[in-house]
Amino acid sequence: MSGLELRGVVKRFGDVVVVKQLNLKVAEGEFLVLLGESGCGKSTTLRMIAGLEEVTEGRVFIGGRDVTDTHPMDRDIAMVFQNYALYPHMDVAKNMSFSLRISGVAPAVVAERVAAAAKILNIEHILARKPKDLSGGQRQRVAIGRAIVREPKVFLFDEPLSNLDAKLRSHMRAELAVLHQRLGKTTIYVTHDQVEAMTLATRIVVFDKGQIQQVGTPAEVFNNPANTFVAGFIGTPSMNMFEVVAQVRNGELRLVGDGIDWAAPQWLGAVGVKDAQPLTLGLRPQSLSAGEALVNRFTLRADVVEYLGTESQVVGVTQTKDERRISVIVPGDARAMHRQHVSFCFDPSALHVFDKGSGASLRPTINDTLTYTNKEMTP
Amino acid sequence: MRTSRFTIAVYLAPAILVMAAACLYPVLKAFELSGYKWDMGTAASSAKCVGFDNFIAAFSNPQVWSSLSTTLLFAAVCVSAEMVLGIALALALERQVRGMAVFRTIFILPMMIAPIAVGLAWRYMFDAQFGLINALLGVVGIAPKTWLADPTLAFVAIVIADIWQWTPFVFIMMLAALAGVDRSVLEASRIDGARMWHEIFLVKLPMVMHVIAITLVMRLIDAFRVLEVVYVLTFGGPGNSTEILALHVYKTAFIGQQIGVAAAVSILLLVVVAVLSWAALRLSNPMKDSA
Amino acid sequence: MTIDRRSFVKNTSIAVFGAALPFSGVFAQNRFAKYAGKTITINVPAHPHYDAMTKLLPEFTKETGIKVEIDKLAIGRLKEKQLLEMAKPQGDYDLACYIVMWKGEYVAKNLVHPLEPFFANPALADPAYDMKDIIPIYLENLGMVGGPKGYLAGPGAQLYGLPYGAETSVLAYRKDVFAKLNLKVPETYDDFGKALRILKEKSGMGALTSRGQAGHQAVHAWLLHLNPLGGSVFDDQWKPRFNDAQGVAALKFLQEVVATGPAGIPGFGQGESNTAFLQGQAAMYLDSTSFAGVVSDPARSKVVGNVGWALHPRGTRRASQSGGLGLTIPKNAKNAEAGFLLLQWLTSKAQDKAVTRLGGAPIRNSTMNDAELVRQYPEFEVFREALKHSNPDWRPIIPVWDRINVQALGIGISEALTGKKTAEAALNDLVPQVTQIMRESGYKI
Repeated sequence: MSGLELRGVVKRFGDVVVVKQLNLKVAEGEFLVLLGESGCGKSTTLRMIAGLEEVTEGRVFIGGRDVTDTHPMDRDIAMVFQNYALYPHMDVAKNMSFSLRISGVAPAVVAERVAAAAKILNIEHILARKPKDLSGGQRQRVAIGRAIVREPKVFLFDEPLSNLDAKLRSHMRAELAVLHQRLGKTTIYVTHDQVEAMTLATRIVVFDKGQIQQVGTPAEVFNNPANTFVAGFIGTPSMNMFEVVAQVRNGELRLVGDGIDWAAPQWLGAVGVKDAQPLTLGLRPQSLSAGEALVNRFTLRADVVEYLGTESQVVGVTQTKDERRISVIVPGDARAMHRQHVSFCFDPSALHVFDKGSGASLRPTINDTLTYTNKEMTP
Repeated sequence: MRTSRFTIAVYLAPAILVMAAACLYPVLKAFELSGYKWDMGTAASSAKCVGFDNFIAAFSNPQVWSSLSTTLLFAAVCVSAEMVLGIALALALERQVRGMAVFRTIFILPMMIAPIAVGLAWRYMFDAQFGLINALLGVVGIAPKTWLADPTLAFVAIVIADIWQWTPFVFIMMLAALAGVDRSVLEASRIDGARMWHEIFLVKLPMVMHVIAITLVMRLIDAFRVLEVVYVLTFGGPGNSTEILALHVYKTAFIGQQIGVAAAVSILLLVVVAVLSWAALRLSNPMKDSA
Repeated sequence: MTIDRRSFVKNTSIAVFGAALPFSGVFAQNRFAKYAGKTITINVPAHPHYDAMTKLLPEFTKETGIKVEIDKLAIGRLKEKQLLEMAKPQGDYDLACYIVMWKGEYVAKNLVHPLEPFFANPALADPAYDMKDIIPIYLENLGMVGGPKGYLAGPGAQLYGLPYGAETSVLAYRKDVFAKLNLKVPETYDDFGKALRILKEKSGMGALTSRGQAGHQAVHAWLLHLNPLGGSVFDDQWKPRFNDAQGVAALKFLQEVVATGPAGIPGFGQGESNTAFLQGQAAMYLDSTSFAGVVSDPARSKVVGNVGWALHPRGTRRASQSGGLGLTIPKNAKNAEAGFLLLQWLTSKAQDKAVTRLGGAPIRNSTMNDAELVRQYPEFEVFREALKHSNPDWRPIIPVWDRINVQALGIGISEALTGKKTAEAALNDLVPQVTQIMRESGYKI
């Protein structure tokens, strides 16, 4: 019952449409990450859920209750802000207990809940300090503590880790994961960091230009990106893209482009690709192997080789007219490849195939997740 | 490399010397004057040292004490009204609404008018025969009042003039302070369940408390120095009902020609203002916060 | 006794200044030559008389080659500035305007030149000046310091300034209102008191307008009644006597003026007092003759043509005010002699008429008798008569008068006007204060 639903939600500032026609269902206890670049509408969506921003059209439901016109406090939510938004004039205990105190909860109960939250977050020793005397990580904990104390149905996080340094960020990320397991509360988490999304989310919602591009588990989003945007956005380094045309040759479907003549994945024939249909191919850097063991091949001039310990990232240029830049992840130390011409190969099944016009993935199995995207998506 | 104490001293010295010359010299001069009997218009060398006679003369004069209590009442009423009004207006007008810029500019005009002109303008407005105030009272059916001819009303009149002139100062200070308040803290409070009053009194105002304290101190100091408006509006009358201490000092110095006694009274004024400022800064000390 | 003093002034003037006459003619032609091209500075208040004077100055520069710079200040700021300026080794002012009450203080502090040496200097004095023609009461009241009381003529008195913008008191009344109510213009204080009540009840406006603001204004209003009713601030031994029967009567009369006058008198300065009459809110005006110009100016007066002028009503004696403004030469002037030449020129017969024509206040009998000017200002006939009764001892112009005036009497009388104190209590309470101020100032009382 403590899930959340957005039904046809639209947000306009004047003539500017920030969020288009949004439909989304979140199950109870889910950790949903809204992922996208800045300005994509994810934060606005979160703020509409919180009640800090009015919705222009559509309805918001929390726990099955329509809260579209409800004051933030009555939505049974708690929110953690990017800059923590602690009350600078109150000490940590007062910060955490503020909402309970103003709603008239008995002092004994307040003290008990603050103590419990402080214990969970390991901040018992700083309860008497003011925010200005805390480190960034401590402030973050207090902000989370303030949310926990309220025992809300839904937690909202707005880029909560982006003000921390890298080391602290990964530490807090792990703590958040543990915390969510422990509390089991529905959580909506906004971030532009795909690592956070991949590690924390039960499901990821990928946003771009005010609309949902794909909703799915981290594995689904990574393995079956619904369109070229998601394909390019998720994964590091980014997926390599190639422009090709489908060609039926001797009864076999080939993918042909500038210096490319590759075998198509098995399933492609079954989705009704026509001869001469323009396509966009996606190929993850991790799907490539050095050598010529697999059917599809190409040669790169390895301009940059970055040795990362267990693996190396090779950035090279294809030996074609358009000199396309390609990234490849190779196991082990590949520094010997530097300035060499290297052959790479891959299995056709590793290819992601998108319609060039719409950018939509042609792989049939992912159509289920598209139910969540809006109807305007395909022009 | 650590900066040596000497270097710090060298860098700070000019600023400290300028401060000392600009602020301390006049105060010390006032102390010096309070020990002499000197007639204006005669050579300073002809001044006679009289020890504490001027202080004795000043403090044994019941007019000084009645004037001090008038001043305290005046400052208390004006400054609290200005603070409340200024803060309330700033809260009401802080949001971006079309045309607000013009509105705000109009609002701060009174502050920019010379005090003498303010006094004259209010003198016309409070005029028993032709004044705007009585005309307005007439519209709502209230009989005209002889504002400047009645001890209580005259006091009310100088209070109104001061509030009119100086509320905008509080307004501007608060507007600037509120503009600096982190919006997300307010949003956090709203999510925490703060209604408008909670948000104002438990979050917004405490967050700008240091500005409130500074504004309060500045207004207090100014309220004790008000001279021109009262000089023009009532000249301290009727009787001595509006004779605030600054006006008493002025009269003693320039009409009574008792420069030394006037200096002694102004030292009393200085002490009162210093004590009140100290108290106001204890409320929230901006220096302490930034350290 | 007053008469004696006045004739004394006349005689001294003739004796002292007359003696110089035969010689002065020789230098008359080039009196100004030595100073041509110099610039002198004159410090004046913003005041109608001095506004009129300003218009004459180009003519002075043309005639003499002496340039004049004017430093004009609000009248309330005048004294402060002058005291600061005159305390310097060399001041900026070559000629300064003062209010009659300051003359004793300026002389006591040795800040101003006696004028006699200038008039005695044949190189400077104008043979046609005719000191006798200056209204003697003005000359005594504004110019003389020394003598038995310190501020009047008599043995030891010397001339330190000349009247310029001087005034006496007269009664102005609304002819139309008096005619309608069939009311006689009050001749005595008894009539005056009765007229206040009748006007209050029947005219639909205030009876008599008056000043009343705390300080000098309230004291000025009270003094207007104190003198005619036979009172005085001090007795001959400098003991306060203002709380005697006459003093109380004068204050009670002023309380009656407040009760029957336009609303708000205890807050009125000269401006509000004048405005009340000019705007038709009061049927009578009893104050300075300097008001005459404004009353007949349609731009500022709604009562043009309806105003009659009469003498200050007689109480136990006939008296009218003396006071106003004068000009003096600071001791530390850069160009004292050129300053004197301007002073002499401004107060000459021709220029006195000129400034009067422009709305200024005359100081010479010849001006007040000038047929053309009397046609322009018919009220001069009454003013001339009033001047005969003008009392130069209207207020004690001793150096501490300003303090007594503003910081003691000005507060106490104001309290009586608002009803905070009775007339008796207000005046009785003031006696110890005034006595103390007098003792502090060295009077053995």
